[in-house]
Amino acid sequence: MASSLLLPAAAASRFSPAPLNPQGKCRRPPPLTISTSSSHHDPARIRDLLHAAGHSCHRFPDRGPDGRPEPVDLDKLRTALLHSAVVVSVFCRSRILREDRGQGRMPALLGLEELFERAAPVPGEDLQLVGFGRAVTDGGMTASIYDVAVIPSLQRLGIGRKIVRKIVRFLTNRGVYDISALCTEEERACGFGEDSLGSITMMYKRATSSSNMEENSTVKRAGRMLLLVPELARTQNI
Amino acid sequence: MGGATALLPATAAAAPCRRRCSLLRRGAPRAPVGSRIRCIACHFVVPPNSYVRLLSGKRITKVSPLKANFWDSIRSGFLKNNSTTEVIEPPSTLPQEEEPLPQEIVLVERTQPDGAVEQIIFSSGGDVDVYDLQALCDKVGWPRRPLSKVAAALKNSYMVATLHAITKYPGTEGNDSKQLIGMARATSDHAFNATIWDVLVDPSYQGRGLGKALVEQMIRALLQRDIGNITLFADDKVVDFYRNLGFEADPEGIKGMFWYPRY
Repeated sequence: MASSLLLPAAAASRFSPAPLNPQGKCRRPPPLTISTSSSHHDPARIRDLLHAAGHSCHRFPDRGPDGRPEPVDLDKLRTALLHSAVVVSVFCRSRILREDRGQGRMPALLGLEELFERAAPVPGEDLQLVGFGRAVTDGGMTASIYDVAVIPSLQRLGIGRKIVRKIVRFLTNRGVYDISALCTEEERACGFGEDSLGSITMMYKRATSSSNMEENSTVKRAGRMLLLVPELARTQNI
Repeated sequence: MGGATALLPATAAAAPCRRRCSLLRRGAPRAPVGSRIRCIACHFVVPPNSYVRLLSGKRITKVSPLKANFWDSIRSGFLKNNSTTEVIEPPSTLPQEEEPLPQEIVLVERTQPDGAVEQIIFSSGGDVDVYDLQALCDKVGWPRRPLSKVAAALKNSYMVATLHAITKYPGTEGNDSKQLIGMARATSDHAFNATIWDVLVDPSYQGRGLGKALVEQMIRALLQRDIGNITLFADDKVVDFYRNLGFEADPEGIKGMFWYPRY
């Protein structure tokens, strides 16, 4: 059935969902509703979407035997959503997803009801979350895009690009032009199409210190990493 | 600096919300009197509750969502407003989290030959005067940025850490000189990710481990809140500095990309 989103994972250790539509370029995305409204956020649905897409909110996640990271913690996701300046959700009518995808052609004319839905989407029983993205900003200068994900059956159709464009539009409307996004090697294929400023991306990865583990040193788990917490600064008297 | 708080001039951050405002004008469901105030609320960057906090001198370490949803504002207009007085709701409904108290740590205390005592104080909760910061950026050689944007960025950053040098002269009460000599700030979604921006230390105070202390304490604060993805974008010249602090460049093929406008 087309609505089953999962493919048996390949032998690769990383989860890389093979798209169900290899001739992606010939196909058009189904009618979608893109929304930035906060009343449409359902953390449980977002968590399921991220899990289905094999996306983890941790940069270095623990991966299960099938190569997929475990679902994200719901409370943390709620906090993250609360503090994200823009959250984009993409919905699609469930019945469209259920239709035989083998046909490949979506009806070109939209019904009148669908046009209204685009204007004021109300996710009910039949609207399924198929795409997601969010960004954090300081409201003046910089912003960072995180967690852009689309369900595997609708990947490579330009939906991710739409999500990113929506986020960028939101941010530039508010005068923020320094927008960063972190991508893994696979995600770059999504068509983020953004260029580097020439600066080097670095992430904190220290796990042990050379002055080895004293009793006071703490570590914090982040995905599969155990990060070393620097000690509290002490006064030097000179 | 005194008690000066970084206040954002109200007009500076308002971006014309053409699309939404025009929908109102074009006769979409007629909103009650005062609906225009809603539209201003939707692009008024500073949420009211944080303004109150600023006046009391406490620093906001939360990031409030910036958006005030257009549909929510229309809906609430219908439901609530039967009178002509309009109440602007704050767009955010933040649960009261346990926030750590802003902390100050004396990093270095040095007695000078003339008896004056110089202290270098790390602080993660205080207000930053944008003019002091601009002077510091000039000293380091960074390009100037619009002050309103800097103020907004500081206000909405998850954490702003500062270094001040205070010189106390013996015998003079309250005539201490306080100077901003370093700053670093981080934006975060409070749950998973944080990015450190704008780390700078006054050139005459460099080379003493102060920058290292700044960044380390920031990492400490972030990790204690279980924020595990700490990122920054470094110039070639400072990559080694951060590598010494435990950062790795392009870890596991993760690359940072920036948006370039294409016309």
